[in-house]
Amino acid sequence: MSAESIRDLIDRASDAYGVLEELGQEIEDEWSYVTDLADAWRTRFDDVVAGRGGVEASDEASGAIDLAIDEIGRIGDPHRAIDWLSTFPQLILLAIGERP
Amino acid sequence: MRFQDAARDARAVVYSGIQADPQVARSAALLADATPAQRVLARAVMNGETTEPGPWRAMFPSLFGSSASGGDAERARSGAILEASLAVAERGEQVRSQVRGALVEELAAQLLARRVGAGAVRRERRVLFDGVRAEIHPYDVTVEQDGAAEVYDCKWGARGINGDVLHQLDDARTHAADEDERLAVALVVFDARRSCDVRLAHQTAPFERTAIVTLETLTELAEPRR
Repeated sequence: MSAESIRDLIDRASDAYGVLEELGQEIEDEWSYVTDLADAWRTRFDDVVAGRGGVEASDEASGAIDLAIDEIGRIGDPHRAIDWLSTFPQLILLAIGERP
Repeated sequence: MRFQDAARDARAVVYSGIQADPQVARSAALLADATPAQRVLARAVMNGETTEPGPWRAMFPSLFGSSASGGDAERARSGAILEASLAVAERGEQVRSQVRGALVEELAAQLLARRVGAGAVRRERRVLFDGVRAEIHPYDVTVEQDGAAEVYDCKWGARGINGDVLHQLDDARTHAADEDERLAVALVVFDARRSCDVRLAHQTAPFERTAIVTLETLTELAEPRR
């Protein structure tokens, strides 16, 4: 097992998610949707942390989160960022054994 | 109320070539029997930048890791979905986008065919009503049965939900009711319900009588209607 908790993984994912959100917000017509979408998924992250935040995370989960963060770090197009604002949280939640 | 083939304009001809791509049918067949997690895998890979399978396997420990649930068959399907999704991802951005759209339509059609039989499921059809100007855009998938017709529009992601598509679906339902016909209308979105709910909250078009089928509930298309 890694020395990290589920909270640590969610915190790391949330930081990267914030960068993705800023990229998506560059599409002015979608600013409100992008902001609400990110808030909705952060609420889900918060629920997980409230329930299992202190649980030790597996090495596999930790590695999955790092790779997912790398994946969204490659995105430079704000339209693709909006696609990933929905996809990334689903991937993160599955990696830590949660339903999206 | 009656159904009619859509006009074969230039766009329709090009798109029909995408729809007929064997890769679309193969991916749809795999996803028809997939779990929600396997569908998230397909969505991520087809949206993604990475075209090597290794990183994706590592990103989905619940499907490929040491603690993966399901037996050998589940793991084999996960591998096949990954392979098929990478084949889509490796295509150019424009083609990839078209293939993803065609894939959702084909997936919906295959699942519906399990419930009503392939003969009742049609693609790219318009619905005509007496005294009502026909819509320009056809419906992606229709179920054409006496007394139990259904029309579906399909979207790859929640962002594809917009006022036009919601109005078109609700208008069809309303016009059918005016003719004392029952017409079920639905929007199939290959995305999470949570994201769809956020998108819907931003719409002013009516959708209360439109079924929203999401990545988590796709399989219900194949099940008897309640």
